Amino acid sequence: MGNEFAITNVWIGVVVVVILFAICYLIGWYSSKMTTSEEDFYAAGFKIGPVTNGLGMAATWASLATFLGVIALIAKLQVPFVYLWIQWAISIPLLTLLYGTSLRRMKAFTPGVFIKARYGKGATLTIACWMILIMIMYALGQMIGLGQAFEMLFGIPYNIALVIAGIATVGYITLGGMYGASYNAAFQMVLMTIAMIVPMGAIMKSMGSSGWWFPPLAYGDMVPAMLKVLPTFFDMKYDIRWYFALIPAFTLGPVALPHLAMRVFTSSSVKNARWAVVWFVLFLGLLFSGTYTSGFAGNYFVATTGKTIAKADQTLLILNVFYNPVWVAAFVMGGALAAGLSTVGGNLMAISGLVGNDLLSIMAPSMDSKTRIKWGFVALAMGGVIAVLLAFKPPKFLVTSILWAFGLLASTATPGILLGVWWKEANKLALIVSANICGLIFIIISPHVFPGIVVGKGISAALGMSGGLVTVPLSFTLFILLSLVFNRMPALKAWAPTLEDKKVIDRIHGWGDYDETRYNGVVWPSVIAVVCLFITIWGLQPWS
Amino acid sequence: MKEKLYKKEIWITIIFSFLLMLTGHFASIFVLFPSLKGAMMWGFPIEYIVPILMGWFGMMVVCFVMAIVCNQFDDDMEAYAKTQGQQVMTDKTKGSV
Repeated sequence: MGNEFAITNVWIGVVVVVILFAICYLIGWYSSKMTTSEEDFYAAGFKIGPVTNGLGMAATWASLATFLGVIALIAKLQVPFVYLWIQWAISIPLLTLLYGTSLRRMKAFTPGVFIKARYGKGATLTIACWMILIMIMYALGQMIGLGQAFEMLFGIPYNIALVIAGIATVGYITLGGMYGASYNAAFQMVLMTIAMIVPMGAIMKSMGSSGWWFPPLAYGDMVPAMLKVLPTFFDMKYDIRWYFALIPAFTLGPVALPHLAMRVFTSSSVKNARWAVVWFVLFLGLLFSGTYTSGFAGNYFVATTGKTIAKADQTLLILNVFYNPVWVAAFVMGGALAAGLSTVGGNLMAISGLVGNDLLSIMAPSMDSKTRIKWGFVALAMGGVIAVLLAFKPPKFLVTSILWAFGLLASTATPGILLGVWWKEANKLALIVSANICGLIFIIISPHVFPGIVVGKGISAALGMSGGLVTVPLSFTLFILLSLVFNRMPALKAWAPTLEDKKVIDRIHGWGDYDETRYNGVVWPSVIAVVCLFITIWGLQPWS
Repeated sequence: MKEKLYKKEIWITIIFSFLLMLTGHFASIFVLFPSLKGAMMWGFPIEYIVPILMGWFGMMVVCFVMAIVCNQFDDDMEAYAKTQGQQVMTDKTKGSV
């Protein structure tokens, strides 16, 4: 895999990577000494404070795509992709509001802990397997990016770069558990924000912008020149359905991402989880706004210099090589690496929790906690190895597989978690049936598996937006209607929620007593089911 | 009091969900009401810069208010449970569900 960007002095790249990994391993090693129980390994002992957690949340969310894939897609889609990216920030506030603090109150390690308490073993197996699949796809995207980053830094073949990056990454994450993942993520967020913003200021100064002092928001004076050569950049391009389709796939999907939920669970208290969210939005907004500036600057560079960027993934790095000294370019590459490392750390911790805690507690309920932690370590390392092996043949656009996976998660896991927390009638069998049916439909109607059976077209279909507009509301409709039907069929009584299941809901909302009428209506869920059905039909209409 | 707290919880959740969705998806407002487009702010078309600002500072303000309101609600719930002599699950409770 060739690239347009290469550090002319390889040793500068080596120094950046060695320093970065040395710090990560040091934090991992220090954190490993704090890990003595399952609470420590999966939830950092429920001790992470709001600022550190806010940084960690932002780092876990901001993947390598923030430095590479997004800028490529801004170059391709221009402003609509900026809008798509802005709405990611809702994910953690929304999940914290809708279920994060409730699950933190019950001291869950993963969303699977709640699924097991609320729906039992069968549903846990279903949801955990979908989540593991999506986490592996997510980690795969990061591994591809890390391999490409090592390739660019050292000028070595991609496959060798991938193996080196994979081993180095999985090693330090396995060492530190959730303490290590949390503190490393906080450090990585600081690094990636500086690497995104500061060199961009220098680039903007070279481009002649007077707003170089604050790159995220002060590049307005570049707009007239940009519009002269690229008048379509700010066009909103799509109709309202395209913008609405962002909600099911890209807002509701990330709400169920286990590695994001686990960041909320590590908070030192329920109240601090909410304050961490405020810091998260501040830090993520700063980084993401820097990304939009980079996307803008990339388009501006192409439009005003007449140069072409064949590999749009590398736009930020090419700009840095063009305008900044080589050591700055290497530092930016270090920031990109940090972005990938923090996300893959969260992904692998989620895989570890889902396998080592959720699945093992079902398959081997008598296993003691020390053995379960060992299996958690093994699952963590194996998740990394699988991601590396899959990354040998990467998809065309680095970011596509990650975004597509969000729609799959929204179709399978989101309804089960949200309705499980807010609706006592949510039925175990209905969850299994609706999650599997809608997950499979989402896969079938995407262009990636059966190109002949596709809902939507072009980038909307490839990213899973048009598919998600069909299967996510369908999943809610099916789940609600099947729950209402199954709960009233004596033959399926075993799948109906028990009194104990329902008591879980009241307890995690903070009630000291049990009231059958709370969270137990039929009218509003039915209204939601009907509205979702209409949205599904809307999603099935031909896309222009 | 119990019924009032329950309704309050539902309304808090609905209102903040709506506000979060509004701040994160503010670009849709300009698609729904195209006549709002055309003005400039800080050198940018407002349909570009306002969604960015709403998705950053607007959402931060919503989260700030959400933290205050929800944390106060938790205190009210615990105070109510105490008056009823009930034990509630908090983050200090030993063990899980």
